[in-house]
Amino acid sequence: MAYDEKRILEMLHEDDISRRRAFEAIVRNFSEQLYWQIRHMVLSHDDANDILQNTFIKAWVNLDSFMGYSRLSTWLYRIAINETLTFLNKQKNTVSIDSADDDELSVAQRLESDPYFDGDLTERQLQEAIATLPDKQRMVFNMKYFNEMKYEEISELLNTSVGALKASFHIAVKKIEEYFNNID
Amino acid sequence: MEKKKDIRIDELEPRRPFTVPEGYFENLTQDIMAALPEQESLYSTRIIVTPWMRIRTYLYAAAAFAGIFFCIKAAVGITSSNNMTEISEAQETTIYSDEYIDSFLETAMIDDWTLYYTLVDAF
Repeated sequence: MAYDEKRILEMLHEDDISRRRAFEAIVRNFSEQLYWQIRHMVLSHDDANDILQNTFIKAWVNLDSFMGYSRLSTWLYRIAINETLTFLNKQKNTVSIDSADDDELSVAQRLESDPYFDGDLTERQLQEAIATLPDKQRMVFNMKYFNEMKYEEISELLNTSVGALKASFHIAVKKIEEYFNNID
Repeated sequence: MEKKKDIRIDELEPRRPFTVPEGYFENLTQDIMAALPEQESLYSTRIIVTPWMRIRTYLYAAAAFAGIFFCIKAAVGITSSNNMTEISEAQETTIYSDEYIDSFLETAMIDDWTLYYTLVDAF
């Protein structure tokens, strides 16, 4: 079915079959863009796929809590962002325990052996530089740089002022350039 | 060792260097829908709201307000009756003002000696 948000929101309040069909339309419409949003943060396809699945399961289970005060896309993005940040925090805790073994690979090294990464050296280094940014700054940078989202859209998703986002992006760019300039 | 390369972000072409397994997006919707909990199990966890459940909250609230109202009323009633006693006692002591007594004495045709005698005699 074609994506008609108004009709889909109505169907979500109808019988079970309509509700499921409406949700299927939502998944079809938003899954790819949400996937890329998540993938840029976690880098690995498998992790991105798991987080995406969890995002939609959470949305489905909490469908009744979506009151329509924000757009459906905003609601889904926020769930995806929360799921991603939770995953990254867990990953940091795991890595900090594992790093005692001194066998931790750098982001660039991991990407080099990743079959679903086809970037060159500069792109691997760029990902490595982005990975050094704080999570939220990285999210702003990815949304703006790779997904070419407008500051107003990012502002709605992250509940942050446009001015703060501009400053965050500017700082991120400076840090990344500095990282490149310091590579031996 | 990989060679150092100084770059500026705005000189790079933003390109997505990631790929996905073949056919991933084609099957994604189906895979996600298959992973969702069944509709029955989702609905079985929902609470069925009966008419009694709808109104009982309001009834409990009304009963609570009524209780509070009567408690306040009882407390105010006791306090106000105490106040009334105090007021009436105060009225008894202040019922005749000094001005009234002076005025009374002036018009009562009682001279100072008679008044003095009456007061001394009274004690």
